[in-house]
Amino acid sequence: MKKIRNWILIFAGCMAAQTVSAQVRPPLSVDINYSIAQPLGSLKDYSDKTSFRGWSAGLQYMLNNQLSVGIRTGFQDFYQKLPRAVYPDKMGDVSAVQTRTLQVIPIQATVGYAFTKPDKAIIPYASVGIGAANMNYEKYWGEFVEKNNSWQFMVSPEIGINVPFGKASPVMFNANVRYNYAPYSYSDITGFNSVQGNIGLKFHLN
Amino acid sequence: MKKTLFLFSAAAALVAMVSFSSCRKDPLKDMTNEESRIYITNHDNSANFTSYSTFSIVDSVVVLTNRSDSAKKALTDYDKKLIASVTASMQQRGYTLVNKAAKPDLGVNLTRIDNSFTNISWNPGWWGGIGYWDPGYWGYPGGGWYWPSYYTVYQVNEKQVAVDLFDLKNPKNNKLTAVWNALWRGSGVWNIDNIDTMVQASFAQSPYLSKTK
Repeated sequence: MKKIRNWILIFAGCMAAQTVSAQVRPPLSVDINYSIAQPLGSLKDYSDKTSFRGWSAGLQYMLNNQLSVGIRTGFQDFYQKLPRAVYPDKMGDVSAVQTRTLQVIPIQATVGYAFTKPDKAIIPYASVGIGAANMNYEKYWGEFVEKNNSWQFMVSPEIGINVPFGKASPVMFNANVRYNYAPYSYSDITGFNSVQGNIGLKFHLN
Repeated sequence: MKKTLFLFSAAAALVAMVSFSSCRKDPLKDMTNEESRIYITNHDNSANFTSYSTFSIVDSVVVLTNRSDSAKKALTDYDKKLIASVTASMQQRGYTLVNKAAKPDLGVNLTRIDNSFTNISWNPGWWGGIGYWDPGYWGYPGGGWYWPSYYTVYQVNEKQVAVDLFDLKNPKNNKLTAVWNALWRGSGVWNIDNIDTMVQASFAQSPYLSKTK
């Protein structure tokens, strides 16, 4: 409890340090979103199904009414099963039902900018996340898997809106579109590109 | 206190989300036995498959297991059907079945490999050609099998079936050359009902294996 109180005091101190005339909501927020992602480019060639298995979550701190910084993580599972086909190998030919999957777990620092003051009914914003992503590549040949796990640099620009549930409500509806790029190259994938749609909630903690 | 609860619930929601990540779609739970199987074929690029006319096939199937050193010969219903199915496919490709005493151009070896009780990488004995359908069976005593470098040794740790085709006409340094090989892996490769599908798939992906083409 004491520790939490200390943290709150620190945040309160930060808040006081801002020359914010009217603080609409507390600066620290948590957001949790459900994610749908569409693969693009070579990722689409590898696994072209839209992924409905994903989420994104983060912490943000408002430096002033418009500028914020934070950290974020998430998960997305790309999956496509192809009918039986013959794949020429270096050595021979392999007939297999391929299941191509990729699991992505990003960890990013974010910087955001709100285009309106926090007392508006709709708050449009833009942000960018920069960090790393864990890429778990698993291509199944029948029941036999070819695996590769690695970390990659990942950058994710995003635009979205926050809609507060009431004028000074600490809870907001969030919807955004995010583009993810990683210079990831393995086997059939020569670059990771995806467009992600997120909807969720953002809670300002007081 | 209210703040702490709020933080706790936010943390709980985060944990729930993270555990959801383990709920990725599992490919192995989205797969029938048929889909689990892979059929691998290899061949000698320098072999001229139209130059062969006749073939002979073994009269039983070798069963290799990691639980015993020596290979056993078996002739179960599965094995009979396997011999008949491979024979029929070879005939469809224009080759004539002859007795092995009639000096066939090609010899067909059939092997079932059962290595399901270990996860140790094991180079099957059949790859070295020692211990079962030895070259002597085909009339080349003292020789061995020659496996060209294009042959990939796939790791063996489950039930498999191999069909090996040897050139009996042109021994190299007193060794017989493997010119074609099919290896079946996955669930149900030892199931009699799957033999025709597996044989047909292996021949279908090897159009070069023909007397007339």
